[in-house]
Amino acid sequence: MRGRTPLPLAILAALGAVFVVLPLLALVIRAPWGDLGSALSGAGASTALRLSVEVSLAATMLSLILGVPLAWVLARSSIPGRSVLRAVVIVPLVLPPVVGGIGLLAALGRGGVVGRWLFEAFGLQLTFTMWGAIAATTFVSMPLVVLATEAGLRSIDPRFERAAAAMGARPGYAIRRVVLPMLAPQLAAGAVLAWARALGEFGATITFAGNLAGRTQTLPLAVYEARVTDPGGAILLSLLLVVLSIVVLVVMRGRITAAR
Amino acid sequence: MRRGTALVPALMLAVTLSACSDTSTLASPTELTVFAASSLTAVFTDEVGPAFEAANPGVKVVFNFGASDSLAGQIQSEGSADVFASASGTWMDAVAEDPGVTGRTDFARNRLVIVTPVEDPGGISTIDDLANPDVQLVLAAEGVPVGDYARQALEGAGILAGAEANVVSNEEDNASVVAKVAAGEADAGIVYESDVSGPAGNDLRAVEIPADVNVTATYPIAVVAGAAEQALAAGFVDYVTSAEGQASLESYGFRPVT
Repeated sequence: MRGRTPLPLAILAALGAVFVVLPLLALVIRAPWGDLGSALSGAGASTALRLSVEVSLAATMLSLILGVPLAWVLARSSIPGRSVLRAVVIVPLVLPPVVGGIGLLAALGRGGVVGRWLFEAFGLQLTFTMWGAIAATTFVSMPLVVLATEAGLRSIDPRFERAAAAMGARPGYAIRRVVLPMLAPQLAAGAVLAWARALGEFGATITFAGNLAGRTQTLPLAVYEARVTDPGGAILLSLLLVVLSIVVLVVMRGRITAAR
Repeated sequence: MRRGTALVPALMLAVTLSACSDTSTLASPTELTVFAASSLTAVFTDEVGPAFEAANPGVKVVFNFGASDSLAGQIQSEGSADVFASASGTWMDAVAEDPGVTGRTDFARNRLVIVTPVEDPGGISTIDDLANPDVQLVLAAEGVPVGDYARQALEGAGILAGAEANVVSNEEDNASVVAKVAAGEADAGIVYESDVSGPAGNDLRAVEIPADVNVTATYPIAVVAGAAEQALAAGFVDYVTSAEGQASLESYGFRPVT
């Protein structure tokens, strides 16, 4: 079915490709490669990288633990207001992250609606801690797990679960041994997307958790802080994020094609 | 869902129409682009900008507020500013070197002040209290003028190490410090006096920093070399340094230069 591409289409397509590739290429061109060793081995970069990996993995775990049950409720239950709930839980996908950060401050900050109570009762404070960064990151990445999982669940015929139940499987056993294995490709895709989103999170984190090296300063925040004081270093750190993102996409592509 | 998709072309049409009416029916105003330190946000948007526009019909002042270090970097790489108003001489020096400035003059001074939430959860009554154990202190990042000034003051008070150990966040500019403290998240922050006289001042409690360790920030303003609107830019600098401009600055908590 592959025919010749009309010329105007080809020109626009080429422009589109250049538009995406050029900024990435410019980073490579402008990078002070001679400083690569010192920029990446510097205490600041390795601290931010380690924190970024920890925060993004923790946020992905949390997104799975909370997001998969949420997707199951959305796909399989008949609770009232389900369609409203579905719309609400994916709002963080389209919300400016800084708005999410302000919302989290109002909800879970030390003076927030729930956070005030947490702080007074348990001395628990999320702001300015790694847990705050994880909370902010989970807020923006969980919807990706919910969307992928719900789509996966909808493609699995509920009669498989009923058949398992008819053969004597308890609901928990049926989910674990029948549904989850069939769902694995979508779970993996959702998790990888959520992790990639978590790795790049900036606005909600700096607004809610603040910016302190070793505690809440993830790689994107470190890039932002370095952009004025050390523009070359900022470019090298940016490239590190580009490489990580490409690795994520390559891994994910393998997953998705394997699923088909 | 179907209603949503019908909305998109309607919106696009509305945008196109409004864009058309902008260019065809209205004479496009001359734009003066002013890059200014974020501590100037309130006084420039509320008073200086409108007053300058009223005095110069057909002129629209466009502000870009941010940390002075970020602004200097943007001017050097993009050069899109007509006027630069910096919170420190250092970053004006940088712009004076590249791309160059004309008509540079100091137009305001500011002093530092400690701010805490109104309930004062950290029990802050002097600058020395900022080094007390378990105080959550928020400063602007190093390189940002107010962040550097704050560290100078802390060093002058002899508590820099103790206070830095209490820092829970290095914020992007003074406005972000004010926001974190006003929200009650941090116990204290160090910002400018002019921040406390602004709208956020109601949510803040101010603690004075003694004069012998306080740092005075001097704000320079200048026309950026290569500015598209040189004459208008010089006029803006003149207005800011005029009696009227100075009165506006003073009413927003800034101190006069002399």
